[in-house]
Amino acid sequence: MESLFTWNFASEIVLSTFRMATPLLLVALAELYSERAGLVNIGLDGIMSFGALAGFMVSYLTGNPFLGILAGALGGILVNMVYAFCTVSLCAEQTVYGMALNIFAPAISAFIYRVYFGVSSTLAQATLMKTIAIPVLKDIPLVGPLLFNQTPMVYFAYLMVPMTALFFNRTKAGLSYKAVGEYPKAAETLGINVVRQKYIACIICGMLAGIGGAYLTTCYVNTYSDGIVAGRGFIALSAVIFGHWTGSGVLMACLLFGFCDALQLKLQIISKDTPYQLFQMIPYVCTLVALAIMGAKKAGPKAKGKPYLREER
Amino acid sequence: MEEILRMEHITKRFGDVYANRNINFDVQRGEVHTLLGENGAGKSTLMNVLIGLYQPTEGNIYLHGKPVKIESPAQAVKLGIGMVHQHFMLVEAMTVFQNIILGDKREKGVFINTDKARKDILAISEKYGLDIQLDALITDISVGEQQRVEILKALYRDAELLILDEPTAALTDIEVEGLFEVIDRLKSEGKSIIFISHKMREVLHVSDRITILRAGETVCTLPIQETNGPELANLMIGRELVPSQYEKVEAGGEKVLVLQHVDYNKTRKHNGLNDVSLTIAKGEILGIAGVDGNGQSQLAELVTGVVTPDSGDVDLKGSKVFSFDPLAFIKQSVAHIPEDRNLQGLVGNMSVCDNIVLKRTNSKEFSSAGGWRLNKRAMKSYADAMKEKYDIRCASIEQETRNLSGGNQQKVILARELEGDPDLIVAVHPTRGLDIGATRFVHDSLIESREKGCGVLLISADFDEVLEMSDRILVMFEGEIMGEYSGKTPPIEQISLAMAGNKGVEE
Amino acid sequence: MKLGGKSENVIIPVIAVLLAFLIGGVIIAALGSSPVDAVGYLVQGAFGSKTNVGATLVKVTPLIFTGLCACFAYRCGVFNLGGEGQFIVGAVTAVWVTVGWGFEGPLACVIALLLGAVAGGIWGAIPGLLKVFRGLNEMIVSIMLNYVATLFMGWVYTELLRDGSVPQTFPVPDASRLGRLMPGMRATWGLVIAVLIAVAIYYFLFNTSKGFQLRAVGLNATASRYQGFNVRRYVLLSFIVSGAIAGLGGAIELLGTQFRLMSGFALGFGFDGVAIALIAQLNPLATVLVAYFFAVLRTGATTMQVGSGVPTSVIDIIQALVIIFAVAGMAFVKLPGFKQLMLNRQRGKKEE
Repeated sequence: MESLFTWNFASEIVLSTFRMATPLLLVALAELYSERAGLVNIGLDGIMSFGALAGFMVSYLTGNPFLGILAGALGGILVNMVYAFCTVSLCAEQTVYGMALNIFAPAISAFIYRVYFGVSSTLAQATLMKTIAIPVLKDIPLVGPLLFNQTPMVYFAYLMVPMTALFFNRTKAGLSYKAVGEYPKAAETLGINVVRQKYIACIICGMLAGIGGAYLTTCYVNTYSDGIVAGRGFIALSAVIFGHWTGSGVLMACLLFGFCDALQLKLQIISKDTPYQLFQMIPYVCTLVALAIMGAKKAGPKAKGKPYLREER
Repeated sequence: MEEILRMEHITKRFGDVYANRNINFDVQRGEVHTLLGENGAGKSTLMNVLIGLYQPTEGNIYLHGKPVKIESPAQAVKLGIGMVHQHFMLVEAMTVFQNIILGDKREKGVFINTDKARKDILAISEKYGLDIQLDALITDISVGEQQRVEILKALYRDAELLILDEPTAALTDIEVEGLFEVIDRLKSEGKSIIFISHKMREVLHVSDRITILRAGETVCTLPIQETNGPELANLMIGRELVPSQYEKVEAGGEKVLVLQHVDYNKTRKHNGLNDVSLTIAKGEILGIAGVDGNGQSQLAELVTGVVTPDSGDVDLKGSKVFSFDPLAFIKQSVAHIPEDRNLQGLVGNMSVCDNIVLKRTNSKEFSSAGGWRLNKRAMKSYADAMKEKYDIRCASIEQETRNLSGGNQQKVILARELEGDPDLIVAVHPTRGLDIGATRFVHDSLIESREKGCGVLLISADFDEVLEMSDRILVMFEGEIMGEYSGKTPPIEQISLAMAGNKGVEE
Repeated sequence: MKLGGKSENVIIPVIAVLLAFLIGGVIIAALGSSPVDAVGYLVQGAFGSKTNVGATLVKVTPLIFTGLCACFAYRCGVFNLGGEGQFIVGAVTAVWVTVGWGFEGPLACVIALLLGAVAGGIWGAIPGLLKVFRGLNEMIVSIMLNYVATLFMGWVYTELLRDGSVPQTFPVPDASRLGRLMPGMRATWGLVIAVLIAVAIYYFLFNTSKGFQLRAVGLNATASRYQGFNVRRYVLLSFIVSGAIAGLGGAIELLGTQFRLMSGFALGFGFDGVAIALIAQLNPLATVLVAYFFAVLRTGATTMQVGSGVPTSVIDIIQALVIIFAVAGMAFVKLPGFKQLMLNRQRGKKEE
């Protein structure tokens, strides 16, 4: 166990924390954009699983992981449009419909995979995205090689954080966007098209969650399997609560959960005597403990979870 | 004079109900045109048609003489119509500045041009005397200031025509004076105002012309010089005004409820209680007057066990209350007609029958085997009897209460709360949003309970209702009791002053 | 159609099923098979022989339990997505009692069932407690606990009670297994227990004062509090009972059907249960019927795959579509616009 504290160990943990946190971050941001428009989407796992499949299929067929990411984004949007139509236009209950996505999307993904690849025992493998080192930055001692030699998707995910903060705090569109989640009726009286805004939110959410799913099969592992998402959507959901509905808060939460994941993987390798399942529980238990310590104060967009009907009487 | 707006033959129907029927209405430049009418006369509907929230079933709208079709609030804003809603359309989690620029599309560019926007807003604010703090959060400013923000929001969008929907409802007298000054400034700058109210004094003070609506139809339009208060009141109500129709009593009997120096959330003036002491005796109605949001809701929740006081004593029927829990109060036969029918009073997705027996399903009357066998037949026949007795109009007692009208929903609550002779009734805004018939029914029921010896705590923001019903009147302001007054000969002026926060002399 | 009446509660799921089958048929046709043949094989697979009928009854039992689990909690207004974890915990407990303790016989079976229910109840109490006392979102908590339970089960079958080289537990001894309903049929008394519990829950919800109050809490917690109901206690109770139902289901599945824990045990049962409860409109008796329908699809699917070459996962799609359509349908008829339409129609009829 003395190897725990070596530089090598620590740097590997850091490196792997950032990698593990990336899909969580993408999906948590997806949820952030959804909830900011008043839509609580618990169907992230479903969207991710479809994104993971779409990403895998396209990158397998074309050999280009970037096209895979694109396919994941489109697939995510497609799936989330079902949610958008039912919750925004039909005013169906958001949790129920999110749940429907969680049942629906993995079923479709599994079906497509079986139909295409058959039930053969050999796993199809796709090419993984290569890391790209950022010139200059990568030469910074210590942190450089750790943080600036990643796949482009990692940069994309972390770049989204300041972009998101900038969008919600400094732009007109961001202000209108937030108003829809806080007080849709007020937004409507100011000429903001609430329904359109909610659909846009669903597109952004579907896209980011789809990319998050595709990340798993284009940058993380090179195969697709059922259950590959493994509850990351729900961990991302907690990250949004934990991060108080802000970009930076969500980032911190994802890094924490990513760290747990990185740590458990490392511990599995180091300590072979302890059953690996116990280590695998760490991210889930950490999420629970983190939430339980913080408690759920009344926070977040005021109108989240509520349907919006225009001509009310 | 130059005509700004003309609405011709406007009809708006919701299902069977005509909210507006063949209404004609016009506004000239630089005038205040008042829409006067009781609750439910169709004022708000007409305005919602004007700002594009509702589409009229029939009729036409002309702006500057040209016919327009207003399909959305956004379009109304573009056409220079700004509305200050009774319930402010302000995003509480944002600052005043953000609320004012929200959704404004005239400036090009992606980012918010803070410097320019601030300069523009401050210029308007100065011009019309609208005093505001740009960087405060909406939650942190007073109701009066929130209203100024709303007006500024409309002016920032170059509104020519301002609609003020019941603008004085939540204001203190001093704030009302301030508002009238602003209205004068607006008029002199050539803006037109539609002023919606049912408060006679204000209407006479501020209007140039008055249009009276009754039951969704126009009664007439009068210039202010040609009319007076009594005439307007008659036109509005359609009958002579009568002084209170209920006999006022002086009950010196047994005390049902005593509050001594009760504090709750004291520092929050608009939803806390500060050193409140009061008593209610058997067989009397104690009315609490005051502008909404001065601690009345908290008082009601406290005396029904929903919240626990921070300090002070509460005595129910002579014994001190230790456990603040709705069940304990219900067991002491305290009945509660809560302020929000749909949220607190009814389970909307349950039937009329279920809601009537809601808290008594484990009584011997409706179940056996200690609550493990419901007697549905008894529940139904009881609910049927209550339907008759309280004149609940529904298709059947199996109908879900969320589909009933407000009046019938309130009757369901009455049927549940008033039966079984409670010792104390806490009624909060019991007639809010009800029509005249249902209001009358609620009042009669409360009086009947009083006759039976029940103590009634009536909390209402409708001053007329408090005057009409109460044997004694207390005024609440910012969580404090401002004074106690007789209900038989209420000193209206003193009470009004107290409601505005002037402690003045008690009787 | 009567507005707000019960008819839509039946019509919508039926339409949803038909629509889902229609789309399923299109998919099958697109794969180059005949939808009619496929459905033929499906029906034959589910009802063709006594064995097949029995196989369906075996599949329906766990689905009834997880369906009731979701149904009961949601009646109290809380979403228990942890049915799978509670189910697993129940099964692990049952293995512990029958294999780990090493005593056999019907008594061991009964104790295993009871302790399975208790364990499920305890597992279900965790999200309940965290919701009531810490205000946490019960969905997230219960999902996280599913993963914890699955991993815990993995530890049990890979190490603690591992039987030889294959990662699975020792089998439950014959004497401790649940009895079969009739010889030659694999369905056990577990099915009877499932149906009885459904009836009991139905009775509880609609014929007792406590059930009435629980439903009121689920529909409007604020109003219920004002009525003096102990909302927290009902929420907690609903979680414990809901977890216990799932836990009992897990024990029954283990003692009646699977006999061993291994990878993939109970996989997907939790979400299936949620889907079933939603399609059944949270009615416990309808839950049994919908669970049966799901089971028919499952058993039929295998025959269909063999007969017409259509992969079984097409059934997953059909199931998923049923829930998509059923929930959307319910939301649609609740829209004010639709109500207006129906009202106008009624009026039109009256005027004729």
